[in-house]
Amino acid sequence: MNRNIKYNGLLSCIGVWALLFLFTACDEKEYAIPAAKTELQNDVIKRSLGPNVAGLDIEFAYAMALGYGKGKITRATVEASIPGAPGTYMDHRSYHTNSSGIDVGIEVGMPSATEGGRTTVNFTADTAAATLRYFYIIPEEAKGKSVTFTFSAEASTGEKVSYSMGPYEIAKMDMKRLLTVVDSSACYISIADMAVLTPEQAAANPQKVDLIYLYRNVPNIMFNHSMVSPTTNAEYLRGAVIPSGASNNTKIRKEWNVRDRHLADLQFGIYVDDLDFEKLDVSQAPNYALNLRAESGAWVETADGKYRAYIYINSVNNNNKSAVISMKRYAL
Amino acid sequence: MRFRKIKIFIPLLIFVLIGNSCKENFPVDEDGLLITDRAECYVSNFELLGSDFQTVRTKNPVIDTVAQTIDVEVFYGTDLKNLYPQFTLVTDAKLDPKITGFTDFSDLANPRVYSVISGNRKVRKPYTVRITVQQP
Repeated sequence: MNRNIKYNGLLSCIGVWALLFLFTACDEKEYAIPAAKTELQNDVIKRSLGPNVAGLDIEFAYAMALGYGKGKITRATVEASIPGAPGTYMDHRSYHTNSSGIDVGIEVGMPSATEGGRTTVNFTADTAAATLRYFYIIPEEAKGKSVTFTFSAEASTGEKVSYSMGPYEIAKMDMKRLLTVVDSSACYISIADMAVLTPEQAAANPQKVDLIYLYRNVPNIMFNHSMVSPTTNAEYLRGAVIPSGASNNTKIRKEWNVRDRHLADLQFGIYVDDLDFEKLDVSQAPNYALNLRAESGAWVETADGKYRAYIYINSVNNNNKSAVISMKRYAL
Repeated sequence: MRFRKIKIFIPLLIFVLIGNSCKENFPVDEDGLLITDRAECYVSNFELLGSDFQTVRTKNPVIDTVAQTIDVEVFYGTDLKNLYPQFTLVTDAKLDPKITGFTDFSDLANPRVYSVISGNRKVRKPYTVRITVQQP
């Protein structure tokens, strides 16, 4: 009996709470447009994607704003923890996107001045809001390190704001784009130099020849544009001239669908990064790659084990017996 | 009194439900695959991919379900040590050994043999994969 009373009490209590929730749940509040802040504010977005490779840039858009009629922006500054390479700058135009989707820049200040890691734009326009773009050219000395950025703005009201971005890891790999290889002439590829050597250069430095490019139109088989190491079987050399002393047994593995955006002239959405080279295993790969097509590629490891690389085929030309290649290289 | 009855009834119901839930209705093999009544046992299609996951076949494979052979011609210069075979089998059948990654087919004198096991797991047919390399 006593237990029944307790049980009923509990049920009543739950019922009362449920009713209370039901009545309060539908209580509507009138929406009011929030009052805009009038103090100096700032925000940053990173516009560039993919691994940060030395020689390329990291792009940011730095927005700053002050309440209308309160004053004007006087200065925008970016401080990078590692000074950028020559060419690092902050655009002195404020950009907005028009109705056609085109970015329109309006000059708001003097061209930026960079001193060490500090880049400054002094405003000349009377403006309370601006979005400036900052292009940080990644220097060689930043490879394998991380870099941070502090964006700051000053207003005529004396207010100062700042915004930190990063750290961003800078890739260890190197990149070289658009090297032309031509059958029987500029056909010797050096991974260490990231260069294409002529027969004379190859003869002078045979140890630098990692791969030989050749084009052969052989009936019944698909040989076409190929890259072979100097020590591959004669049947894959097809009469290619091997410089005396060139003996690198370079491993090479064909790849398809790894169309790196950096190497492919900002097409596609794939990036080869340091991690790909670190995990690469081409120990079982052959020392030749035949019938390489445009937009394909090949993973390579040099015979001395010092470098791994990804060679991308930008284009091929059967008539000229040539190809345009780009490469990313990682020092082990 | 009624409350006490409910207290006993609910755990009892849970035990009954748990007991029934693990009851097996269909037989499965050591791989957890369903064993069915099908006795058909053959390869219906075969693909061979290179290290770039592109086909290395020069033409369609010739699958002889009587002789239990698969003849494939591959492009000149194909890296035979790193090939990825793909079998299409009759419904419910399975392959032994399983394909776990790139496989070495370079020993052309001793072609690789894969067995197809029927859906009822009672028929086993070995298929020999014979590779020839395109020549100029």
